[in-house]
Amino acid sequence: MATRERFPPAKEEAVAARGGGRSGRLVSMVPSKFRAGGGGRPGPSPVNNCGLHLVIQTSSVAERNKPFEFRVNKDQSSFHNRLLQHDLEKNHSGKQGDGRLLTPLVRNKQVYVPVAANLADLSGLELKQGGGCLSAFGDSSIHTPTKSRTRQGCHSAGPNISDNIHFGSSASITAFPILHRAADEKILNSDRLTLERQKLTVCPVIDGEEHLRLLNFQHNFITRIQNISNLQHLVFLDLYDNQIEEISGLSTLRSLRVLLLGKNRIKKISNLENLKNLDVLDLHGNQIAKIENINHLGELRVLNLARNLLSYVENLNGLDSLTELNLRHNQITSMKDVDTLPCLQHLFLSFNNISSFDNILCLADSSSLSDITLDGNPIAQETWYKNTILHHMMQLRQLDMKRITEEERRMASVAARKEEEKKRESHKQTLLKEKKRLTIGNIARQWEIQQNRVALVTSSNQDKKDSDSCQINCSAAYVFPEETRSLDTILSNSVQGLSVLDSHLVEVEGDTLYLYGSGALESLDRNWSVQTAGTVITVSFMFIEFDEIVQVLPKLKIRFPNSVHLKFKETNIVTLQQFNALAQVRRIEQLTVDPQGNPVVNFTLWKYYVLFRLNHFNLQKINGTEVTQNDIVMAERLFGILAHVASSELPQYRLLSLLGESRKKQFCYMLEAKGKKSGIVSEESNDSRRVGGENANRAILNYTTREFHTEKLEEIKERKKFCQTYIQDLVKEAADINMKNESLQKLWPQMFIELVRDAVIEIRNKNSYMKLCLQRITDQK
Amino acid sequence: MLSPERLSLPGPEYLAQRHVLTYMEDAVSQLLENREDISQYGIARFFTEYFNSVRQGTHILFREFSFIQATPHNRASFLRTFWRCFRAVGKNGEMKNALLSVDALLSGRSYYRGDALYYNERQNYLLTVKEYHCLLQLLCPDFPMELTQKAARIVLMDDAMDCLMSFSDFLFAFQIQFYYSEFLESVAAIYQDLLTGKNPNTVIVPTSSSGQHRSRLAPSECSPLDGVEASLFYHCLESLCDRSKYSCPPSALVKEVLSSVQRLTFYGFLMALAKHHGINRALGALPDKGDLLLDPPMDQELEKLLSQVSGLSISTPAGSSGDIANLPTRTSPRISSPWKPLHHRQKVNTESDGSTDETESSEN
Repeated sequence: MATRERFPPAKEEAVAARGGGRSGRLVSMVPSKFRAGGGGRPGPSPVNNCGLHLVIQTSSVAERNKPFEFRVNKDQSSFHNRLLQHDLEKNHSGKQGDGRLLTPLVRNKQVYVPVAANLADLSGLELKQGGGCLSAFGDSSIHTPTKSRTRQGCHSAGPNISDNIHFGSSASITAFPILHRAADEKILNSDRLTLERQKLTVCPVIDGEEHLRLLNFQHNFITRIQNISNLQHLVFLDLYDNQIEEISGLSTLRSLRVLLLGKNRIKKISNLENLKNLDVLDLHGNQIAKIENINHLGELRVLNLARNLLSYVENLNGLDSLTELNLRHNQITSMKDVDTLPCLQHLFLSFNNISSFDNILCLADSSSLSDITLDGNPIAQETWYKNTILHHMMQLRQLDMKRITEEERRMASVAARKEEEKKRESHKQTLLKEKKRLTIGNIARQWEIQQNRVALVTSSNQDKKDSDSCQINCSAAYVFPEETRSLDTILSNSVQGLSVLDSHLVEVEGDTLYLYGSGALESLDRNWSVQTAGTVITVSFMFIEFDEIVQVLPKLKIRFPNSVHLKFKETNIVTLQQFNALAQVRRIEQLTVDPQGNPVVNFTLWKYYVLFRLNHFNLQKINGTEVTQNDIVMAERLFGILAHVASSELPQYRLLSLLGESRKKQFCYMLEAKGKKSGIVSEESNDSRRVGGENANRAILNYTTREFHTEKLEEIKERKKFCQTYIQDLVKEAADINMKNESLQKLWPQMFIELVRDAVIEIRNKNSYMKLCLQRITDQK
Repeated sequence: MLSPERLSLPGPEYLAQRHVLTYMEDAVSQLLENREDISQYGIARFFTEYFNSVRQGTHILFREFSFIQATPHNRASFLRTFWRCFRAVGKNGEMKNALLSVDALLSGRSYYRGDALYYNERQNYLLTVKEYHCLLQLLCPDFPMELTQKAARIVLMDDAMDCLMSFSDFLFAFQIQFYYSEFLESVAAIYQDLLTGKNPNTVIVPTSSSGQHRSRLAPSECSPLDGVEASLFYHCLESLCDRSKYSCPPSALVKEVLSSVQRLTFYGFLMALAKHHGINRALGALPDKGDLLLDPPMDQELEKLLSQVSGLSISTPAGSSGDIANLPTRTSPRISSPWKPLHHRQKVNTESDGSTDETESSEN
């Protein structure tokens, strides 16, 4: 007990408080009072507190050596057990830091004490023998922590050992000391034996003490558990603070309920197979790196593995009675199986290496857990720590030794939900972003392939002369697919979740509608909400063949009536005439044509042509630069004649066919105006043109897409063929007629002469001719 | 019209030779295409309009390439239309006056006190082959790039095809290339044969097949000492002109071109053709080089248009007029190497005196 004194009082208190496993300890929880009252004087002290009362009781009963029944109350042991554990741990560490840590507990004692007062009800130990057993327990001082109040007992016991116990060293083979107790001592403490601080290096052979139920070897130098296999009634074995390296020699102790092996050198949990009734197992302060071989301990309620080398908690199944698990001061990063412990209520994880709630997610699945400590872990530094824990463990009543209020819990769950939503949202966002990036990459690749192919086709069509360039192209074409394949695999690897790569992407961001890939144009057919459609001001086309865009431009003005800014990038605008197509949009204020993938931008004249052709839109900006008055004048100067020629010199039938149906009417009006004196009318006709929006003379400059054009050419060819045969036939016929006519013309004079000659010859002889005539007349009659 | 020689050929052949059939076919074809519209105002009216437009040369506007190149008349009309429509692009000094007048029109006073600097800096509108091609496509959507490139090759070195050309250089080269394209191909074949040393007497002058020689390597650039002997060359060309059923430049003019030199290269020859006033006149589509930028009636129209535009835009704040200096002054990447056989050509073509050579002058 002298050693006890060594501890600073506060600490001792803490120890005591924690050590509440035994009733004596509980008593000691009342620190100052206890010290004051129990300072060695066991007599009934006036303190009103229950702890004190207990002390009295103990002391009074101390003399009776009724066998005590050590029974742990399964229903309500938790708290004393907990205390015990803390205590043990504390003992072990004996460091100041720990002491401080424990202070909260100490402070809590006020809470505990009253409860402890009623020992029978409350304490884990139900001492059947009445107060006597308690005292007995205390007396035997099995428990070092026997507080000062037990000191009385100690006093008696300590001397006992030294005085009454005699170590006989048997001279026999065994080098073990043999222990005999004096008879009276034996009678006094028939079922307990304390061999504390005896500098034992081995377990002595204990003779004639088969009925021993409690054995204390605290603070010795024992390296191996031996010579106790005959103590088959042993219930309580304390080997705290020895040098044991392996758990062994316990296989016969079938009734053992409490095994205290704290502060030893055990590396491995083993040889506990037969201890099926084990109730408390204390292994704190050892070198255990793995939890194993305890699955059969169905009765175990308290397991202390604090201050070991655990980094991973698992293999806990089968511990069906475990209510308290102490894992403080390990290096635990993650744990599982906790949810398989149906009775676990108290879990101490302070000072480990847990950094993420995901790693201890099993805690959330435990329905019994009501008290947990996680302080001293990285996770406890996080801002979301408390909220997340509380949110996931609604059953929790105490976190890091602080009670949880309803309010806190509610706030936590709200906050956690919010947090989670935010996380999910951001996750979704990043996922989307990633997907978008990949999709755009994919589209770009397809576009390049397509462009390359197109280039290849045209080049092979075009210059057969330049075999060199063709070769380059060919080789390029050979190289390319491989490149894409590898790219593909890379991509698909990185994608995983977003396995399906789209070939197009539609996105509305702010007031901009982005269309990537030609497939995106189909989205214009979709039903856009009026609101969305209304907000779109900029429409950006990327990786789409301009010809395909042209076909949807009419839809654009219907779907997105407010779009005034068109952007083109990688759309293959090559010629000026392609801009003609933009005239059919309703309104453009800004036009942006990115040089990338639009070679036309390299032309000096493109801007002027756009200004000229889209003159009716009153463009404000082209490629980000303001359009100035002089730009417009310049554009007109450069291309005005073209429009004039187009409108004034085209034959009317072509004008009509070149203008779309819709424009015909306005054009007819213009024609009428032109019919009048041009000088007077010019303003008027200007007005009419402007009313119509687009200048009619410009409308003639329109753009037909390549396919449509080839189609048209095909049609023309067909028609031409027909016309050719038709004309040929006509011409042949005409030529024939002409030839006949000419022949006739050639023959006719001669024929006429011949006829006349015949007639003249006939009538030359008047008489005979007369006769002939008369003859004919008579013949007729 | 009813010249006596019509009698020397059977009717259909005569009609075909004079391309009457082409126009008749086209007229019917157009009639078919626009029958709904035409039915409103009568077929007679349509034919009147059609043949009128053929006569005026406006029938080729926005037509398909196959039609545009179908007859010499169409080609000449196209050339003329091209010139008229895009003359403004070729304008240089005149632009200044025009802009000033616009400005005066806009504000009633001149903003351009310091414009001398600006105009000195400013280049003529020099464009690349592609740009010229784009302009051509504005008039004829399916105009083939190949032809434009060939025309550019007359002006530019083979390795300088991205260079800028002045409007007149391109236009005259293009005229030769476009109007005489079949003839030029035959010439290329003859030239190649001569170069490879075949006996010119045994040369089978290609007459009809234009595609036959396309596969041959076009005469590549030769040093001035290379090339062929002019007289021999002329001899061959003469017989070609006699036999060819496609249009050829008048052989007298060809002789004139060739007689001034001893030897010449293919492109030297083409260049000389392009620069020859007589040939241009004989062709009749374009004015003389000196008058190339003049077209008073069109200018008048343009003034009218401009006054409209500026009339329109006076309402908008015109404070930006000072920005005109932003007009694209092109920093040409390779402007320094435009002409290939420069010395040679001058040797060949006594008429080319550099003063008319706008690309050259723009180099300075």
